Amino acid sequence: MMMKAPVGGAKHRLLPSCSILAVIAALALPAQAEAAGTRAGSTISNTASASFDTGGGTTTIDSNQVDLLVDELLDVTVASNNPADVPTTPGATAQVLSFSVTNNGNGVESFALSTVANVGGDDYDPTVTQLYIDNGDGVFDPATDTLYIPGTNDPELEPDESVTIFVVATTPGSVVDGNRGIVSLIAAAVTGTGAPGTAFPGRGEGGGDAVVGATGADGTDNGAFVVSAATVTLVKSAVVTNTLGTADPIPGATITYTIVATVAGSGSVSGLAIADNIPANTSYVAGSMTLGGTPLSDPADADAGDFNGTRINVVLGTVAGGQTRTVTFRTTID
Amino acid sequence: MRKALILLFAVLMPGQVLAANHVALANDVFVERVTTDTQGKQRILLEEPKVVVPGDRLVFVLNYRNAGAQPADKFVITNPLPDAVRFADAGDTRPLVSVDGGQGWGRLDELTVAQPDGTRRPAQPADVTHLRWAFQKPIPAGASGKLMFRGVVK
Repeated sequence: MMMKAPVGGAKHRLLPSCSILAVIAALALPAQAEAAGTRAGSTISNTASASFDTGGGTTTIDSNQVDLLVDELLDVTVASNNPADVPTTPGATAQVLSFSVTNNGNGVESFALSTVANVGGDDYDPTVTQLYIDNGDGVFDPATDTLYIPGTNDPELEPDESVTIFVVATTPGSVVDGNRGIVSLIAAAVTGTGAPGTAFPGRGEGGGDAVVGATGADGTDNGAFVVSAATVTLVKSAVVTNTLGTADPIPGATITYTIVATVAGSGSVSGLAIADNIPANTSYVAGSMTLGGTPLSDPADADAGDFNGTRINVVLGTVAGGQTRTVTFRTTID
Repeated sequence: MRKALILLFAVLMPGQVLAANHVALANDVFVERVTTDTQGKQRILLEEPKVVVPGDRLVFVLNYRNAGAQPADKFVITNPLPDAVRFADAGDTRPLVSVDGGQGWGRLDELTVAQPDGTRRPAQPADVTHLRWAFQKPIPAGASGKLMFRGVVK
């Protein structure tokens, strides 16, 4: 198919440069690094051909071939894997934040990892104890994941490959409920970092240069812990009734004890239990224990309460902040 | 940036030594860089492709010359696009393009591409696999000219 073409002939000796410049200006976009892209070290070859007839039939000629070696672009991103702040408690050890490190460059590259815990904008500085390189399951397990040793096992990533990094930290004992502590994870290309465009001659994969991309060849993101603590307060009260209809603690009178456990804070307490000794000169009234108004049997059995002859015990288990538990029992004065 | 050449120089720069065979075709590739000067004005520079990375814009310049004594008729220049280059534009040179590896040809806005579901969508610059300039008039003896197109390193 031959179509009318606007160029051809001697009058096109010069292209209208001004209009081309205008077109370039209109189309100019900042060079944007794509994910991975053409592999570093590969060659882009271009050859054009021309066919024509100068009277002796169709002749085809090739142009010279231009070969461009694709250099290595150094780009990396770090992203927190925690969708929300990770709950912790005062003094807790082995608290874990998860991050993804992705090689956005076009060559295989190793990345040095580091953390910053005093970034500001938070209430306390977690103490980072270790970094671990995930074994691929996305779940932190110090037995199967690899302890990161800077300069020794910097993770090496293929283009577009990601690795999960676990930041393990200790929460100071001095923090209080609601405090936030931020940790930044930084990944930097081992070949080098710097302003976009910075070149490291001959250090790219495949023999070309390594060139810092739009990310500066380093990436960072924040993860955060939030202290989720809870406190328990117990309030005990007693009411005396007797056959005289008064509140006098005479022999034979009944004392009804009420113990209210109140849990406050954004966290919860686990393993909560209420134990109370039966006072001297009083006797426990068999079958008088209640929890939240529901009777509890005296033997140690499936329900939460038991009486062992000297004390009552009610197991409350895990109770979230903002909740209360009320235990009652009765004694008689000997 | 000392290697930088502004576009005007690039266009006027003599092409490579043109081969014999009366009609010659030379191919040069430049990297287009945008720089911002101290006044905040953008300048577009064409550099020799010393360093090429994904995302770079390449300018392909084709110089043709009829060095023979006879006019060259049915003059057609074809440039298969390298796999690692995504076509961007061809300035105002209005080439024919192929989006199927050189089987069919047409203006980009006339072509369509089959989709997995069997329907066809309008072709995009990224679909271009070949460019072709077909000259309606013979190239007179001694005449020369220049074509260009741009692509982005994938």
